Amino acid sequence: MAIQLEHVSYTYDARSLLRQTALQDVNLELAEGLLTGIAGASGSGKSTLLQLLNGILLPTEGTVRVLDVTLIAGRKPPKLASLRRRVGLVFQFPEQQLFAATLEEDLIFGPLNFGASPEDAARRARKAVGQMGLDEALLSRHPLQLSGGQRRKAAIASVLAMDPDILVLDEPGATLDQVSRMELTQLLHRLCREEGKTVIIVTHRLDELLPYADLWMIMHEGRAVFQGTTRGLVDEARQLPGYGLSVPQPIQYWLELEEAYGLQTEEPCLSPSGLAERLTQLAFTEAKKARAYA
Amino acid sequence: MNAMENIQHKSPVLTGYQENIAAAGEDIPAEGSSKAVTDMVVLEELSFAYDGQHADIHDISLAIGKGEWVTLVGANGCGKSTLIRLMNGLLRTSYGRIYIGGIRLEPGTLGEIRQKVGMVFQNPDNQFIGATVEEDMAFGMEGRCLDAGEMRNRISGYASRLGISDLLHRHPQELSGGQKQRAAIAAILAMEPELIIFDEASSMLDEKARRDWLDLLLEMHNEARYTLLSITHDAEEIAASQRVLVMHQGGLAADLAPQELFRDVGLLRLCRMEPPFRIRFALELEKRGMMPAQQGMTDGSPNPGSEVKRIWPFSWSM
Amino acid sequence: MREKLLIGRLIDTGSPVHRLDPRAKMTAMLLYAVMVMAARSWPALLCLTAFSVLIMILTRIPLRMYLKATRPLRVLMLFILIVQCLAVKGGSVLVAAGSWHLDSAGLAAGVYAVMRMGLLVSFTAMLTFTTSPGQLNQALEGMLRPFERAGIPAERLSLMTGIALRFIPAILDEAQTIMKAQASRGADLKELPWKGKARMLTALLVPVTVGAFRRAEDLTASMESRGYRIGAPRTRYRPLVWGQGETWFVGAFVLMCLVVIWIGFN
Repeated sequence: MAIQLEHVSYTYDARSLLRQTALQDVNLELAEGLLTGIAGASGSGKSTLLQLLNGILLPTEGTVRVLDVTLIAGRKPPKLASLRRRVGLVFQFPEQQLFAATLEEDLIFGPLNFGASPEDAARRARKAVGQMGLDEALLSRHPLQLSGGQRRKAAIASVLAMDPDILVLDEPGATLDQVSRMELTQLLHRLCREEGKTVIIVTHRLDELLPYADLWMIMHEGRAVFQGTTRGLVDEARQLPGYGLSVPQPIQYWLELEEAYGLQTEEPCLSPSGLAERLTQLAFTEAKKARAYA
Repeated sequence: MNAMENIQHKSPVLTGYQENIAAAGEDIPAEGSSKAVTDMVVLEELSFAYDGQHADIHDISLAIGKGEWVTLVGANGCGKSTLIRLMNGLLRTSYGRIYIGGIRLEPGTLGEIRQKVGMVFQNPDNQFIGATVEEDMAFGMEGRCLDAGEMRNRISGYASRLGISDLLHRHPQELSGGQKQRAAIAAILAMEPELIIFDEASSMLDEKARRDWLDLLLEMHNEARYTLLSITHDAEEIAASQRVLVMHQGGLAADLAPQELFRDVGLLRLCRMEPPFRIRFALELEKRGMMPAQQGMTDGSPNPGSEVKRIWPFSWSM
Repeated sequence: MREKLLIGRLIDTGSPVHRLDPRAKMTAMLLYAVMVMAARSWPALLCLTAFSVLIMILTRIPLRMYLKATRPLRVLMLFILIVQCLAVKGGSVLVAAGSWHLDSAGLAAGVYAVMRMGLLVSFTAMLTFTTSPGQLNQALEGMLRPFERAGIPAERLSLMTGIALRFIPAILDEAQTIMKAQASRGADLKELPWKGKARMLTALLVPVTVGAFRRAEDLTASMESRGYRIGAPRTRYRPLVWGQGETWFVGAFVLMCLVVIWIGFN
């Protein structure tokens, strides 16, 4: 189990007048090597949940187990450095968090902190830049000399350079154009499939992640109201509006198809081509049947 | 491809405009010529030289009619933001002329033009001037020297129209993204502009808020009081609008209807876009020889529910 | 987006104090500061406390909110108490341990200091609980207006403070996120040695400054496109109106001020 949360709650400013419970009794189990999508209206506790995964926040109740580290509410946490090396957390708008004088310095910051040699760190920086599809020539630039899209990619690369086992991203595609968003999702999918990384993505655009995600988690008012496979999400989709989310178009279409043809047990096809292909097949069979009757 | 020719046969609006220019050619300095009556925005041979921060623009001519809903698309850095910032004088043109509601944009008319143009920006946090929603709505009107009673009327009127009456005393940071953008629009509407320009104003909203946003735009459009010009990457918003201007490297690459854009692979690649899911799905079906029963699949309708009803149950031609 | 400090938050109960012209409240605040300075005896302090409680009751905000407002300063207050107790000698010896002894004068001085500080802080809270930052700012501008001929740019100053009030919480939030991002990449401020801490904080300056500039640019665009020009005539959504209530309110403070000073002379 890569990640396990047991009865985890988190309360901001627990001892003050302004106490605010952001997470309540969340249970979660994620196996290694899977791509998980997390969705929920704003203020549902998604960002808080992510920060529990590398010990930036410690649970106020319950137990968080990530890889071989256990964080128990109220107990002194173990040294968190090794956890943070293995869990790469990309915050919202990471491009605003670049701080070094050159892109390379920013990229080697993480690896050096976690004890890599300068040569090794530089090698990893170059690899990460390549993975994000950026030109190595950009390494010597000041982050402010890059375009907005390049900065976003660079900021994600700075976490990739740490070569974490678990990658956690908070709305990495927000404000990017559609093609960049798709490229980013495909890259994360590849990292998951080819390098066995565990990837967790918070997203507002479920439809774009649907063809790639293995697991889904829906948050609502600090609780995990749904956890399961894409198939399970399709079955539960009618609940989504109650959680402040709309039913993604691919799921709407699939549900129609499912109802008409009784496909409730089938793995849903949620990409345009997949859905079209399935529909064409069904139509052909239907036509054949009709001919047989005639 | 000759972009200009392409545009002309695709867009009756622009063709009409070209004739207009030809007719008005002799008396350009004369204000209030015939085009002022129907056109909200007229740009003539507009250029802007790169200033280190804003992309350059070369030789853009176009016209936007009163009451139109136009989207402006293009890859990042193609000059969209520059273009709209020229329209209300946030940036100064290097060459060319801008008319807003028939008035030529010059240093002397800047105040008048800004009264006609309202702008809503991308980051809802950074456009709040007041410390509460109410104070922020008042800010623009104070500059117009309205009296306090009129301001109160407008604030309560527009706040209730946008469903933010309960939020008037809140600090902007206490609002959700959707609420912030509604408050920003309320502040703009309270100044009663004729042209409203949105600079990627929906890009930071979550999915549900984006739906509400689209409904709001539709509502504003149907009221026929406002001309809407929106920069957006959102496929549904583009599909819902009447007309799309595609920019590429500082020039106008196309001027066409949304459904035409979504069928033009080359243009889509140019502005790094994908059609909305339902249109991609319809195109995939078409590829496999399946046509929806009725035309209208690739329409601008933003409501997929009705779409589903239209193509199912299963009456297609094969 | 949680605001850590209770001071600086408007608690709207719609009381008469809330409705007062902010200039009156600000003037009262200045007079109050004078009173706190002048109150150097038990009777004066008691008078002042009674007066403060009366005003606080008039605001219809629960008194415990005022107590809570002093909480962030409790460590400082305790420190002042201890320092005063140790430093001031005289009067009778209360407790003695070896060569060290706590004197009555020391204790009294300590309690005085803490009480005065508590009064000042909770009364400042009264101002911010009943007045929005925007109104405070408007009051500042209104009070500086007469000095404009002396070269004080009242409008600019109030615009600057207004924007600062508006953006400081956002910028602090942003700084916090950047620190979290850095901690995620192995540079946790809490775990770093002092030298490393200093280095990290300077590294923070770049993105925070860039962020502030980005905000400033956006805000300028937003203001300009809403037709703002510095020095252009403007009307006020909430014009400042100085009525009888305001005169009475400030009058009460002037009177109280005189009383406290008079007690001091006797």
